[in-house]
Amino acid sequence: MDAMVIMQMILAAVSGAVLYTLIGIAPGTDETAVLAPVTIALALLGLSPYVILAFFFSAIVAKKLTDSIPVAVAGIPGGVMAAPMVEHAMILKQHGLPDVSIRKMASGSVIGTLVSIPTSLLIAYLILPVADILSNYAGLIFTLGAVFLALLTRNKLLSLAMIIPFAILIMGLRHLYWGLGIIPEETNVFVSFFLGITIGPIAFTLFELLNKKLRKEMPLLGKKEIEMKKQKKLNGFPNPFKILTKKESLTSALGSLFGSLTFFLTPVGMTVFWGEIMTRHIKDPVQRASRAISTMDGLTNATYISGTLIPLIAIGLPLSPMAIGPAAGLFNAPPVFTPENNIHHMLTISEIMMATIIGAAVALGITFFVTIKYSTQICAVVFKYIPHEALIGLFAGLVVMLAYMDAGILNIFGTILIALVAGLLYRNGVNYGVMFMVLYAAPWLLELF
Amino acid sequence: MTENKEREENLIEIWEDNVDVKDLIIAMILCIGFSLGGYLIAFGEIPPLIFGLGGGVIGFIISSIIIKPKRKLTITKEDDA
Repeated sequence: MDAMVIMQMILAAVSGAVLYTLIGIAPGTDETAVLAPVTIALALLGLSPYVILAFFFSAIVAKKLTDSIPVAVAGIPGGVMAAPMVEHAMILKQHGLPDVSIRKMASGSVIGTLVSIPTSLLIAYLILPVADILSNYAGLIFTLGAVFLALLTRNKLLSLAMIIPFAILIMGLRHLYWGLGIIPEETNVFVSFFLGITIGPIAFTLFELLNKKLRKEMPLLGKKEIEMKKQKKLNGFPNPFKILTKKESLTSALGSLFGSLTFFLTPVGMTVFWGEIMTRHIKDPVQRASRAISTMDGLTNATYISGTLIPLIAIGLPLSPMAIGPAAGLFNAPPVFTPENNIHHMLTISEIMMATIIGAAVALGITFFVTIKYSTQICAVVFKYIPHEALIGLFAGLVVMLAYMDAGILNIFGTILIALVAGLLYRNGVNYGVMFMVLYAAPWLLELF
Repeated sequence: MTENKEREENLIEIWEDNVDVKDLIIAMILCIGFSLGGYLIAFGEIPPLIFGLGGGVIGFIISSIIIKPKRKLTITKEDDA
């Protein structure tokens, strides 16, 4: 690897860190919706896989560091993954310690990153011998994965029942496009269907607004009130190991280890599960909350990194909720990356590790420092100047454009169809993971009939 | 009708934050228009995707300027101890 490539990776990592430090703070931004389209677009632009990988890891680490900031200062999760921490962060906020909770969470994140990278490498090595067998049965594995994830959802019956109909919807549209000659056969429309699922819940709500009766019933709200406290200044470069007590460092490292081991399960579920188990015994509410947030933040980081890194190194197929969602662009962004030829096949293990470490290190260096020192200021800027409407608009714009790119104007409507169905299912307790798995499993599954 | 009676409370919650439907439609039209438009007018050797992404960013910036965030921010000062 020459110096030029390394420089490019560092540059990509810096831009990823800066961009996602801001996006992470914006309330409610879903990881898949904000990470996947950008990664996919970078891949389609034909950037080198090194650059994309460094960008991705920097983005995910930065986003994970900052999406807990609004939790601490305002009790609003900055992302889906930050939701389980709200309860504990609110306890610290009530005790007037929002700045403590930011520092503890950010430090937990650092530990999660440091623990999960080597752990993932180790786990990947253990899986490697069976990886070839796994990839020969990809279709079957995705189908089993869909069933498995369906059993973990809120609405198990519906999740199971929708597997085949949803596969029909996907393959039906593909065959329609082939039949009409819009795209050549054997070209699979993937990206826009994937994004259609991602924006499903929003699209569904928007279409509901067109119904006068429902619109009248919708609760009308005033401005979102956010209260923030100015935080005390901190001098010098922050040291995560000094910010956390020994016990907190230990549980967040342990939590991160467990989180990495369960990389194939849902990250939110694992964060709640391990986080609660490891802190349940502590009596003092402030100590318990502080231990819980540092552990959970480490855990979410670890599940994210390992969920991407392990399948990427060992298998080359997106076999974890993380890989199939936010990191999807690394595995499948046709025609650049396909399940048969993606970053797993293009880079060696040491090259993947190199890009990962550069990405993570740059993000930790920039974002951790900025988070600890200027969290209140950044929060104020984002809350004051970035309207939520513009963020939703931007993602809608990206999805429509990519839909057009995939299969023309007709596919814009096809993507709306997928989004509406996905939104309806999501509303009724089927989570993204199941639908993403079906998207991968569909061709194999329907050939069975 | 009496729909605009209370200008104060006319927001709905999407994606865990409050938005004004009219502003959301404006932002969506701007962003979709600029990104799709950018993709369509692409010229030269540069891939159309770049124009599309650039268009999306322009749409985002314009919407951020003309639309006010619906958040009420109060910052309390920390007493210096």
